[in-house]
Amino acid sequence: MRNYLAGSIILLAAMLALSTVARAQTEDGQAGQQAGANRGRGRGQANAPSPTANLPFDPHDFSGVWMGRSEAPIGRLSSKVPAMTPWAQARYDAAKPGLGPRAQPLGNDPIMICDPIGYPRIAHGGAYPMEFVQTKDRLIEFFDFFYTYRTIYLDGRPLPSDPEPRWYGYSVGRWEGNTLVVESAGFNDQSWLDTDGHPHTDQMQIEERFQRVDHDTIEAKMTVTDSKAYTAPWVTSVTWKLSPKQKMREDLCAPSDEAKYKQEMREPAAQKN
Amino acid sequence: MRKRLSIYFWLAAAVLMISAPTFAHHGSIVSYDINKIVTMEGTVTEFQWRNPHVYVMYDVKDAQGKVVNWGAETHSPIVCENQDGWTKSTLKPGDKITITVFPSKIGTTRGLLAKIVLNGKVIIDDTGRGVQAGQ
Repeated sequence: MRNYLAGSIILLAAMLALSTVARAQTEDGQAGQQAGANRGRGRGQANAPSPTANLPFDPHDFSGVWMGRSEAPIGRLSSKVPAMTPWAQARYDAAKPGLGPRAQPLGNDPIMICDPIGYPRIAHGGAYPMEFVQTKDRLIEFFDFFYTYRTIYLDGRPLPSDPEPRWYGYSVGRWEGNTLVVESAGFNDQSWLDTDGHPHTDQMQIEERFQRVDHDTIEAKMTVTDSKAYTAPWVTSVTWKLSPKQKMREDLCAPSDEAKYKQEMREPAAQKN
Repeated sequence: MRKRLSIYFWLAAAVLMISAPTFAHHGSIVSYDINKIVTMEGTVTEFQWRNPHVYVMYDVKDAQGKVVNWGAETHSPIVCENQDGWTKSTLKPGDKITITVFPSKIGTTRGLLAKIVLNGKVIIDDTGRGVQAGQ
């Protein structure tokens, strides 16, 4: 009996772990993760072999529409959270997220008033497609989530030395063999790093290493360094799957739509008049 | 006894695995009691096919015959489209629906959409969301 129970528990744990991997880790649903080949909720289709994975490809060409899956649990930038400085801890404590273990009604997530979601948080919004458009000297990453983009310059320019802070920063890339190494800096400190409300400063620097490992897959490893906020870097990754059937839409956050939603749904659900 | 326990054990495992952690950064799921469901017959008064969340407003007759307007929200349009094949014309004012929601914790006429039956057809079934307590 004891062996039976122990075996069942181990098996259940394994199943849950696998299902967690299979499920998308997104901010607003994972159905889109199956976009392209599969429509559905990620109930087992995610690991099905793709008929196009073995097609020939150019490892230096990322062109196409992709769907991302973060390695992180829902709401977090990475599975391991580095220790915060007192400054970051205070900001984190003041953040009231709408999703995750600290979720509360009527929170203060900046995107709930349609502030730009910022980078790198947008890269983990996996329900939405991203399109790489590549030219000789730049790679443009169009995000359907928040209907925005960032430019990664491939022409050898350095990062600006005294940049005007941006929500999506400045990015330059270089090839190291078949790995595109992208350095980013020049962010403002207004966006959250993740849905759980982790902050960052304007000193945040990001290194990403993109590698197209097969026709259908780009592995993107990310290291976020922000010593004014964290005692160690955040290390995370996103796996991007080529999703040619996925449509790029117009997932804008329109302030008037958000205000109507707040008035008709969010507030009446959370408080009585 | 052992057999019965085993069945419940694996049922629970199955439910946990298929549950979709699909809601939403726009700060709402914590407002709903996902351990409770309410099913109503309603008439659609408004269908909001837009960000941040798609929602439907509908009239329901209460026990005294008084018409009460309810609202139920679901995913963003892209998720509704990818997951359930919804479009901007999936629902329209005047549609008669059987709607199941996870009601608001404070007892207001709002809910998190669990299921809709329209013309005898299930057009969304998110009742599996009920195991997402704490999300």
